[in-house]
This record gives sequence, C-alpha cells and structure tokens, in this order.
Amino acid sequence: MKNTLNQVFHAPKFLIGFIIFVGLMGFCLIYPFFTDKDPLEMYGNGNFFPPGTYVNQEEVTLDSGYTLNIERSAATKIASALGDNEVKGMLTYFDLTGVDYSEIDTTDKVALVELWEANYSDDYSNIKTTTSNKKLFTRIQKLVVEAQKDQGVIIAEKNEETGELEQTDKLVGTEYSNVNKLSSVITFVLGTDNFGRDVLTELVSATKASFRIGLLAGCIATTIGLLLGLLAGYVGGVVDNIITFVTNLFTVIPSFVILILISYSVGDSARGIMVVGIIIGCTSWPWTTRSVRSQVISLRNRDHVNLSKLSGHSMMRIILTDILPYIASYVVMALILQISSGILAEAQLSMIGLGPATTKQATLGLMMQWATTYFAHLNGSWWSYFPVVITIALMTFSMNLMNQGLDQVFNPQLRD
Amino acid sequence: MKNRKMNKIISVIAVAAMAMSMVAGCGSSSSSTASTDTKAETEAAADETTEEATEAADTEAAADETASSDEAATPRNETVYFAGQQWGAVNNYNPMSSNSNCWAMSQAGNCREMMYESLFMYNCLDGSVSGLLGDSYSWNDDKTVMTVTLKQDAHFSDGSAFNSADVVATWNAHKEYNSPTGASYTLYIDSIEAVDDYTVNINALLDDQGRAVNPLQIETYITAIFQMSDEYLQVVADRNNGDADAIKEDRMEDAVHSGPYSPYYASEQKLIFVRDDNYWGQSDSMWGSLPVPKYLAHVIYKDNAAGQTALQAGEVDACQQFITDVQKLWLEDGLSISTWLDEAPYGLCLSMPTIWFNCERNGLDQTAVRKAIAMATDFSQIAASAMSGQTYTFDEMPRCVANPTDAERKYIDFDQLTDLQFSGNDVDGAIALLDEAGIVDTDGDGIREYNGENLKYQAECPSGWSDWNATLEIIAAAGQKIGIDITTYFPEAASFYDDLTTCNFDIGMWTPTGAEISGLWARSAAYFSEDYAALEVNWSGNFGHYMNDEADALVKSIPYMTSDEELKEAYTTLSKIYLEEVPSFSAMYRPQAFFAANESVWTNYPAQSNSETCNIPPLVLTDGAGIEALYHLQLVEE
Repeated sequence: MKNTLNQVFHAPKFLIGFIIFVGLMGFCLIYPFFTDKDPLEMYGNGNFFPPGTYVNQEEVTLDSGYTLNIERSAATKIASALGDNEVKGMLTYFDLTGVDYSEIDTTDKVALVELWEANYSDDYSNIKTTTSNKKLFTRIQKLVVEAQKDQGVIIAEKNEETGELEQTDKLVGTEYSNVNKLSSVITFVLGTDNFGRDVLTELVSATKASFRIGLLAGCIATTIGLLLGLLAGYVGGVVDNIITFVTNLFTVIPSFVILILISYSVGDSARGIMVVGIIIGCTSWPWTTRSVRSQVISLRNRDHVNLSKLSGHSMMRIILTDILPYIASYVVMALILQISSGILAEAQLSMIGLGPATTKQATLGLMMQWATTYFAHLNGSWWSYFPVVITIALMTFSMNLMNQGLDQVFNPQLRD
Repeated sequence: MKNRKMNKIISVIAVAAMAMSMVAGCGSSSSSTASTDTKAETEAAADETTEEATEAADTEAAADETASSDEAATPRNETVYFAGQQWGAVNNYNPMSSNSNCWAMSQAGNCREMMYESLFMYNCLDGSVSGLLGDSYSWNDDKTVMTVTLKQDAHFSDGSAFNSADVVATWNAHKEYNSPTGASYTLYIDSIEAVDDYTVNINALLDDQGRAVNPLQIETYITAIFQMSDEYLQVVADRNNGDADAIKEDRMEDAVHSGPYSPYYASEQKLIFVRDDNYWGQSDSMWGSLPVPKYLAHVIYKDNAAGQTALQAGEVDACQQFITDVQKLWLEDGLSISTWLDEAPYGLCLSMPTIWFNCERNGLDQTAVRKAIAMATDFSQIAASAMSGQTYTFDEMPRCVANPTDAERKYIDFDQLTDLQFSGNDVDGAIALLDEAGIVDTDGDGIREYNGENLKYQAECPSGWSDWNATLEIIAAAGQKIGIDITTYFPEAASFYDDLTTCNFDIGMWTPTGAEISGLWARSAAYFSEDYAALEVNWSGNFGHYMNDEADALVKSIPYMTSDEELKEAYTTLSKIYLEEVPSFSAMYRPQAFFAANESVWTNYPAQSNSETCNIPPLVLTDGAGIEALYHLQLVEE
C-alpha cells in the first residue's frame, strides 16, 4: 500500500493534478473564514461592477481627513476626466467646425482643453453630424467644466426649520482620506455579477456545490456501473445478456438527452444539489458498466479465481477478494472521471436553465448562464464568467491529470 | 519509441495548424467589424449575402438562389437594417392571420405602418391622434356613432383609390372570417357603413340601456386595424373559394396595400421591404415626400447576442433589443450609438410589466400575502440590475394604474396615494404584516402556512426573457426572506401563454396594455375586469381572477365619463384599490420598444435632444406615429 502510494505520488501527472485540485479545494475551504459575505446576497445595485475596492463616499466626505501638500492639478483633473473617446470627440468637433489643431500636440490634454474652450459653442445648428456626436460634444463640455472647477466641493445640510441648505464643510483639492482609517471599505476581488452578488464568494460557494454534485454523481454512477459490471462479467449467461442489453440501450440514447428529460420532469422546485447529483449519477453509469464487465470477463478464468471456485468459496467472496482488488485501481480512475464529467454535466444543465434554483444555491453552471444572459461576454465584464470557466477547466483538468497519472502507475502497458 | 516521437511531431503540427486557422479566422472577422465606414459595411453586407447564398444553395435550386441573392444585396446607403423584430422566416403578409409574423405586424395601439396602414396614428409622447388614411373623426353626442372622413389622396399600391368601400370591406372581412385581431371588436362595433365615398360611420354596438358598449374600444380600432383593399379581398376570397380558414392563412405575397413599403425579398436569413415610389403619402395632404430609405432590411439573427454584435459592428442601424448597460456602447466603447435619452432610463418608458397573483390559490387569495410579497420585493434592485437602469424607479414615478406619461398621470391625484405606496425591500414590514394576519410558520420548516398548507409558489414567465427572468429571481429572493417559498419557472413561451391565459399559474409576469389611445382604461380593465376573469381563455387581463365588484363597476362606467374631474376621481379610486389590495403589482417601467440606433450610416433618429425629431416617438422607426422617423433620416456621408 505504502509502495503504491509512493508510486502514485511520484507520477508527475498525478502530482500536478493533485496539487491543483487540493489547492482549489483548499482555497474554497479556507476562504469562508476570511469573509462574512453571503454568496447569494445582492450587494451591487446594478450589473457587473468591476473588480476593486469600494470606499463609502459618505464616510469619505464626513471624514476629517488629512491635508497633504499635494494638490490635484488642473492637468491631473483633466487627464482623469477625459478618456480616449473624449479626445477623439474633441478632434471630430474641431474637424467639423474647421478649427485648426495642427499647431498643438493632440496627446496634450491640457492644450486640447484650452483649444476646446476657445472654440466650443453649444449651438450645433451649423454642424452636420450625428446625434451621437452632438451628445458626445455636450458630454465633453460638461466634463471640461467639471474638471476646471477649483472652488472645491461644498457640503451642505438641510436646515430642518427653514428647509434651506446650509454649508457645513468644504472639500478642497489638498484633502485626503487614509483608506486604512475608513471603516466602510469593501473589496470585490472579482467584482459583482448581473445581480450585484460578489463573484468571488459566489464562485467559492459554487465550486463547492459543483464538486458536491460531481462527487455524488460520480459515486452513484461508479457504484451502479461497478455492481452491474461485476455481475454481468462474473455471472455471465442470461444475467450478462440482460445487463448488456440495458447498458447498450442507455449507450445508444445520448445520456444528456435523458438528463434533460429527467431534470425537466422533476420540476424546478425539486432540483437541489442532491437531486441534480442523483439525476446525473443515474444517467452516466453505462460506460463504467461496460468497462468493468470486460475487465471482469478477462479475470474470471484466471487460475486464482478457478482455485477459489474449487475451494467452494461463495460468489460474493470471490468477487470481493479475487476480482475487485484487481480492478480497484481502474474503479478509482473511473470514479475520478465520473466526478469530472458530473461537474461538466451540471454546468451544461444549469446553462440551459435545468440546474438548481438561482436563489437557493450558486453553481458554476448558473453563474455562466446569468453571465451569458446578461451579455457579459459582449460588454467586457470578463470577471463574471472568465474565473468560472477557469475554475471548471482547472477542476476537470486536474482530475484528468490525476487519472492519467494513475493510469501510468497501474496500466502495465504504459509503465516506463 | 520512434512511433511516439512521430506522434508528438504530428500533434505539434496539427495544433499549430489549428491555431493558425483560428488566428486567420479571427483576423478576417475583426477587420471587417472594426471598420465603420460605409464602404466597409457595403462589403460586409456583400459578404453576408454571399454567405446566405452559399447556405441556401444546399436546399434550393441554384438558379433560383442566384436570382434571390441578387435581390438580397441592396445598397448599404439606401438600406436601413433592423434587429430584434423578426425572429424567423415570414409565414404570410396577411393582416387577418393568427400567425402573421411578418415584421411582427401586430395590430395594437401602435401598429406597424410600413406595409399596411391604419386610419389614424397614436403619438404616445403627447397623447395626440393624427390622420393617416383617415383625415378626421368625430362622435355624435351620445357616443354611439363615430364619423370618419378619409384622405382623398390615398390610394393602394396598385393605383386604385382608397375609399369608404375599403373601410367597410376590411371590417366585414374581419367579422365574416372571424379573424383573431379584428373580430374581437365585434363586441363593440355593430357595423361600419359608407356615408359617401370618403366618409364612413362606425356604429357602436349598444347595451341594454341604449349606450355604446365601449366607445374607447372604437377609438382603439381606428388606430390599430390595418385597412385592406376591397377588390383585393375579393381576389383572395375567390382564390380560396370563400373558405374562411384558407383566407386567413393566405400568404398574400401579392398583397395590395396602402403603406410606403412592399415586400421585396424574404428568406430564412433576411427580410427586405422596398419603397413604393408611387406611395400616396408623398402628397401634401400627408407627409409631402417619400420616406428616405429605399429598403428596410431585417437580418434574421439567432438570438439577442447576435443582433447586439451586429449593432456594435454597424451592420444594424435600428435595434429593438434589450442591451445590458447600453450606455457602455458609447461611454466606454466610443461607438456612434445613441438612444432616445442620453442618460438613464435611455428609452421611453411606457409599459408596466406586472406581477400577477393567482387569487384562487391558497394564500394568494389573502391580501396580506400578496402585499407582503410586493413589499419585500427589492424594486431598486430590479431597476438597477434586472433592467440595467433602463427604467424609472418607483420613487421617481410612484405606482398607480397610469403609465409614466403626463398624458395618463394627469388623471391621478397622487396626494391621496402617498400613504399607500410601498417602496419595496421592506422585509420587516412584510413580516409584521404576515404575522399580524396570523399567517405564520407553525411547523418550524421556515415556510409560513395558511390553512395548514405551506405557502409555496412558482413564479413564471417565458424562458430567455432575460430581464423578466432576473426580476422573478429577485422576487423569489424576497419570498425567501419572509418565509414564502417562491421558485422560478421559465417554460417555453407557448407553454407559459397557456398557463397565463387559463389561470393555471401561481405568480405570473405579463405586461398589460402600454401607451395607446385608450391605454389607461384598457390597463385598468386588465387589472380589475371581472368579465375578463370569466373568460375560459383570457388574453385581455385579470389573469389571476381578482374579484372586486367596486373596481369592476368603476371600470365599466369610465368609458361613459366625459369630465376630467370625474375621470380623475375614478382612476384615483382604482389606484387606491390597486395599492391596498395588490391584485397584481408593476415590477418596473419598461420602454414600449427598446431602441438603440447606430449612426455610422444613417442619422437624425428620434431623440429627445434633437429638435427636429423630439416629437416622434422612438418606436423603432416603424410603429404608430413613430413611422415619421423614416422621413427624417439622413445619410451620415452624403
């Protein structure tokens, strides 16, 4: 046993797969200790907030703060206010109104703003251009005016009696807040999804759920496959014919179709992690049965088995002691593959809306489904789907690597 | 060993080949999509046509296909491309059909006026009604006869004059053949008769007291129903031997119609209309000119994502699709795409998708349960995430039976409703309400019971309607917080329609009448009409069979009210009942039609900031008074 384990952990493929898998699972187990976020809580009031640290603006405004002798210069304000689209819009405006900008460096935003201020007019009646351009010019002008303001931001409160606004404070360009001193700072490492849920917390919960579904499905499929394979292979005759017939039936009908039909018929309210796992497990056993059966057939006429038979051992004992140990390594490999395909099956099912309920459990497939539904792939919100894809890929890849590593150790034909 | 080495070399070569082919593929597509100039788009359109021709050639005769692909290649600078209105090959061009999907030519309050035309057009921006085939209309004193005068310049695409006989024949055809759209008006219209060549009388059906059953529905009729040619209807009847079912399913590819566009090309991939340069509307009594684009084309996309990609690439000009964070298209991607408003809610919010409770289900027959669900629902989350900010919030536009336009809101006294409003996400309030009503969890499973049964419901809407699906998820989440087990259920649309129209649902989502000439009344009827609830199959409203005699009586009496004060009192009372009893609740305000325009080829689309087009409703250049937009379009590069 020790020797076998030693061999297994010296197989590089197994080791790499094992490290990835344990790393992933370890992170999922440890992460909840470091956060109090709920995977299903809708934090963001909007779609797909990008990754980053969010600071409460009210707290920053009320924070007494620090005065640093570093002022946000006009150039800095302009540079942060005007992006590439705005610069392009300014040049379009100059082109349309015949303003000569050949003298200035178009990468110098301050110079551009000066030229803009000298020439901009909100009367577009003489400009023949698109509505979107006119809207862009208006937006640019607003940004330029905002960026040029140097009077600071006045904080006012409403007087309860008179109902009028009274100035209580004024923020100027040299006032700073120390992020470490603020209490309402929230980090969304992977941003939020279309519902405003924290993607990382959701991803961790979903990875665990998907693994649970995969594990359950894998165990069920392997158990059914193993039992039927052992029976068919060892007993043979009519039993073998019947089991082979049923297995062939299931092999001919694509298992995913059966999976869809069963998932649909159990109804949305019944589809929790357990039920989805059981459904996947009950539809993916045939190939295990077929392979176990063929292995058992090759084993059943071996001398040691015949010896057992002559010694009068019961069928159960022969199967358990003389056959099972010889295919145990194969069964473990089959289990790993079944878990991996169970995870993929859940992702596929959830993608077409037949997985667990969105409000009750996060799963990798559901995360992908909602990201696609809200066109995350079209509007650049990579954080809502890319980490999910990577996680699914890593989980299945690591398990396949482990499987290959085990194969290298146990399959005599592949041994170096 | 040698074999393994060979295998490795072959596999490396294979992977390299695949990678190179992918790079080559991506390279060519990005080069055609990144460019937005007209020339590139013409090329892109040509590529598209070639692709279509190649695909279709497998199924159809090569000779036919060559001819049709020539037709499908229309000049880019004469064609406006649409997305989001046509999702499959055209079934027919027949306004009497139950299955006419041609450019979704629905005959509702804002009907699509490209091929066929209605008598009048409704402008949802100011509530005005303007003439199209009709010139003017008036009621007699007791509102039993509406007299409509017709435009004398109007004629059909075959040159024959449009006159009273056509209006009469259109009505008679709908009535005789029992068409799904026109025949419902037999409940309100007794007959239409010609007074002279250009005047018709629409005689209302009278009730026991000698009053018109519902004059408002007759006003809807003149803005909703396409007028057809008397002579052509006879041709269709003759070729189908007068068989009503056959006539209703006639493809009408040779249709004689009055609108500015005729069918030009239709396949599985694309639908094209061509301008009728003999269109009557160029006379000074109507538009004074022809619509600008010669062709209107609708590529049939697989799904919203394909349509949106085409819009971003400049292959689509007018897009009627829900686009998540639409503002990113111009703010971040710098695309020349614009919407009606530059800021949220971007579109013109006119309709009110509503959550309907089945008031016959255990628990949902209790006001406390219905109201608790509504109170606990996080409406700001629905507005911000499900609707991507493309809606007003209920703080901005308080809830009532009216939609968020001044034309309807002037009939509501909001001061009387202030204390009844629920702002949402009030979980504590909802829990208190349920506890107070004695609806509590007695068996400790976390779900409250009523009559000994758990409050367990399915919230249902068609699958793939993304903003609605997300809305129901948010409502389900609210249910969990107050001990009501709500799960979402998204069946195929057809299955959902069956459930909704036969009251076989727990919680359903559907939009009552939007902005149309009698929209406020029609919506109120949809919320409260007991007559609708009595129908076996009911498409009109009150899907959850809510019975309130006071509200029903008010709905019945409103069509006869004439003074604004009287109407205001009635609609305010209905709004009170709506907020107190919560037979259903609006989840959001939604644009009547989502509309985003790409201005790389055409410009001067309807926009609130554009003085020339600010009174044209942004109904995708096609619906109701929105058709006027086609007369204002300009080419970006002329």
